[in-house]
Amino acid sequence: MKRRSIVALCLVAVLAAAATTATTLGATKKATANSITVWLQIDAQSGWPGVVAAANQQFQSDHPGTTVNVQYQNWGDHLQKFDATLAGGGGPDVIEMGNTEMTKYMAAGAFAALDRSSFDNSSSWLKGLAASGAYGGKTYGVPYYAGSRVVTYRTDLFKKAGISKLPATTAQYVTDAKKLLAKNPKKGFSPVYTAGTDWYFAMSFVFDYGGGIATQISGKWKGLLNSPKSIAGLAAYKAFFLATSRASKTTDETHPNPYDVYAQGLAASMIGPSWFTCCVGKAYTPTTAQFVMPGHVKGQSIPGFLGGSDLAVPVTSSSKALAADWIKDFTSTSSEKGLQAKGNIPNATNLLGSSVNERAAARSWFVPTAKHWVDVENGNILRNMLAQILTNKLSIKQAASSASDNIASVLNQP
Amino acid sequence: MSARRRGRRARQAGWNVVGIAIFVVMVFPVFWMISTAFKPNEQIISVAPTWFSLHPTLQHFRDAIDKPYFWVDVKNSLIVVSVTVAISIVLAFLAAIALARYGFGGRKLFIVLVIGIQMLPQAGLIIPLYVVLADYHQVNTLTGLIVTYMTFVLPFCVWTLRGFLLGIPKELEEAAMVDGSTRVGVFMKILLPLMGPGLVATSVFAFITTWNEYIFARVLLNDQSKQTVTVWLSYFLGSSRHTDWGALMAASTLTAIPVVVFFLLVQRRIAFGLTAGAVRG
Amino acid sequence: MAPAAETTFDRSRRRRRFWTRTVQRTVPYGLILPIVVVIGVILGYPLYWLVKLSTERYGLFELIRHAGVSVGLANYRSVLHDTVFWHTLLRTVVFTTANVVLTMVIGTLLALLLVRVSTVVRILLSSGLVLVWSMPVVVAVQIWYWMTNYQNGVVNYVLTKLGIGDFFQHDWYATTFSQLSLVTLLIVWGALPFVVITLYAGLAQVPHDLVEAAEVDGARPWRVFRDITLPILKPILLILTSLSIIWDFGVFTQPYLLIGQSKITTGNYLMSIYLFEEGYFKSDYGRGAAISLLMLLMVAVLSVVYVRKMVRIGEAQ
Repeated sequence: MKRRSIVALCLVAVLAAAATTATTLGATKKATANSITVWLQIDAQSGWPGVVAAANQQFQSDHPGTTVNVQYQNWGDHLQKFDATLAGGGGPDVIEMGNTEMTKYMAAGAFAALDRSSFDNSSSWLKGLAASGAYGGKTYGVPYYAGSRVVTYRTDLFKKAGISKLPATTAQYVTDAKKLLAKNPKKGFSPVYTAGTDWYFAMSFVFDYGGGIATQISGKWKGLLNSPKSIAGLAAYKAFFLATSRASKTTDETHPNPYDVYAQGLAASMIGPSWFTCCVGKAYTPTTAQFVMPGHVKGQSIPGFLGGSDLAVPVTSSSKALAADWIKDFTSTSSEKGLQAKGNIPNATNLLGSSVNERAAARSWFVPTAKHWVDVENGNILRNMLAQILTNKLSIKQAASSASDNIASVLNQP
Repeated sequence: MSARRRGRRARQAGWNVVGIAIFVVMVFPVFWMISTAFKPNEQIISVAPTWFSLHPTLQHFRDAIDKPYFWVDVKNSLIVVSVTVAISIVLAFLAAIALARYGFGGRKLFIVLVIGIQMLPQAGLIIPLYVVLADYHQVNTLTGLIVTYMTFVLPFCVWTLRGFLLGIPKELEEAAMVDGSTRVGVFMKILLPLMGPGLVATSVFAFITTWNEYIFARVLLNDQSKQTVTVWLSYFLGSSRHTDWGALMAASTLTAIPVVVFFLLVQRRIAFGLTAGAVRG
Repeated sequence: MAPAAETTFDRSRRRRRFWTRTVQRTVPYGLILPIVVVIGVILGYPLYWLVKLSTERYGLFELIRHAGVSVGLANYRSVLHDTVFWHTLLRTVVFTTANVVLTMVIGTLLALLLVRVSTVVRILLSSGLVLVWSMPVVVAVQIWYWMTNYQNGVVNYVLTKLGIGDFFQHDWYATTFSQLSLVTLLIVWGALPFVVITLYAGLAQVPHDLVEAAEVDGARPWRVFRDITLPILKPILLILTSLSIIWDFGVFTQPYLLIGQSKITTGNYLMSIYLFEEGYFKSDYGRGAAISLLMLLMVAVLSVVYVRKMVRIGEAQ
């Protein structure tokens, strides 16, 4: 019996191996010009599959016989996967890149240059997004969509605290926050939930006060965080955080997700992308609304980080023209309208509507377009600085100076 | 005699209590995963924890199964895992016999190579392995993934099976040889039954390692219809948008089921008393 | 045997013996051949590539063009001159020691406990272990993070309810020590099932009656363990220890995901995270290859004692 089971085991193994080889033999045929491969982030599959399908249909009616193979990626590891295909082949013809990821790859020559004028609305592309796809005067990335940060808040709590008008300045928001806190003495309650090391939000203060992260002076990067204006911004951020948020001073903006805290009833408002309304819980959905975060000067919103995605064609692609055509279809006016309907900011100013999300994008900032910027992000230099400032480990000046030097040395690497 | 037996029983009761306490602590995270999978969203995020939901929902399981490619990817995982485990165990057992029962030139070198492969940081191998498999046109195929997994699982299996073989005294086999059994006969009648627990423990390990492997599956497989279930699972976390915790927990619970079933099928082999007494009896 | 009269019979017998001996000598090679082929074909080139890469400048630019620039030992030099590397190494060695010791001690105790409990509890406990084992690491990390999170972690809730202190909004991820302690707990928890089940399978080889006889003779449990159980478990214990060293030294997923990318700084690097940050995130593959090979060397040094013992045991038999 035992012998028989061993023999059976071996047989199964051999058969299964044969079966998989047989099935894979058919599959290893090289991608021909009759098919293009597109790497999109998983957001597209879960968020707007219809837009993808429509673009594919448009593409296929223009190029009969050519199929589009869309493969979905995760933000966390798509670059490792991409690097492997750059080395070994078999990579995509079109790839979606985060706008802060672009520069490093453009500088290394990973993408093919594209003809900007051939894309819909390219003359009015959002400035920040278009800049993330340009390098050395050429266009490598086509803006796909953008997202901004807004305030999501509880109308019922605001009303109960006697706040009849939405804050017009940061200072007024802090005053309102104190009122909210007085009405909600619950332990751990945040009038404005923001995570301590949410650098996207913190840098908004820096830019609001006229500061910056780094600038290029005759080919060399110089850190700006220790400039008086930046330090004023950081001080304003620290004061704002300490007065309004009970979040951990060392955590980031996804641990926990702000909307979970909000849904727990522990926040009167929170800062984040406009799609946060999706997940505030059934109980609070009817009394949830959004506004644009005000700046320290009346009448001006705080500059928000303009996050977003670009589409690029890797140099390893064997059908670059087809790839560019697909991008045209996927970023066409009708496609962008579809994305807009799903709560994204379309890629061009002439398509902008008047949603909170889009109004917030009117004043925005973007990271330095430096080859090594990704290293600054991955090294958590800014987050580390914010944790030091909020926990009083270092003074604002000390933390900002050391971060500033650090950033300059990373950006100036060969 | 009865006093001793009573003492023994009391002692066992004590050990039982300890065992149950450890069980509770160890299993708590698993319990938390499963119970979360059944909770409505409000209970999942509430500050005061809900231990058992009084109004369990199957919605999360429905959401998970409805996510595209669930069944296809489960099938892929099953193929990859069963082929990898079956071939690896057979090949590794052969090599383990060579190492534990034969002296031969190059034996030491082989042992060192086997353990050395384990020491390579896998992170360093991602790109070179991709390049090699791309050369053989084995990227985006299950076969490519299977051979990759075999290179990781085989050294481990050889190493552990050899250890189990060393635990079996040679005299047993020699005695059988003297009794006139052939080598194959000894293998079938003596080694294999005694190795049962070791083979099962090793294959459980190989099964779970390959079933749960993520990064190579992620890098080597492109089409969603060809991916394994861990890659499928990663899509719950890979978005820049909201994470559906309930569905993630339901999906994780579902993907753990095959492992548990496999273990239940083979666990009898690890049971005590199966071989006790046979050794040095 | 009959005196030397039957010559043809003798000769054929000798010839047969010669043949069996030759076959016997090739048998072990035949047995290991499949493995050597599989591993050689798949890993041979990557290994060569890794070594070659470690002597080249190989960044994203070179990767795209498939051509590195030879720089000799510059990558190794730059790594060995990096203070972060040495701090990381020290931290990783301490971390590995803690993890391996905890895993092995608790694992052995649990395996011995499994022998002593009743059948029902044994099945309960071992299926519990398998449940733990069956959890994909990525998921396990999410659950652990969730149980310990600042805002509504169930651990904080329970500790507060038990009156151990006010753990409301206690931040388990505030200091490096506390971060790595949590990672250790997670790793030991995840490693126990494998260790316990393997040791338990090994215990199945321990002769029951011998233990009983010793107990009847009045031997204390510790002596029974040392003189009867331990020698039989020794090969398996050695394997598990050396494997644990190797795995814990190179562990990546648990610390990276539990601490969270946003909190990883040079102050809490472990070796494999250092490798990932330097090699992949900075796309400096040459340097990454050098770090990989240095890691191989270091883990070899760390585990050499166990590995040698392992090899010796086989020879003594």
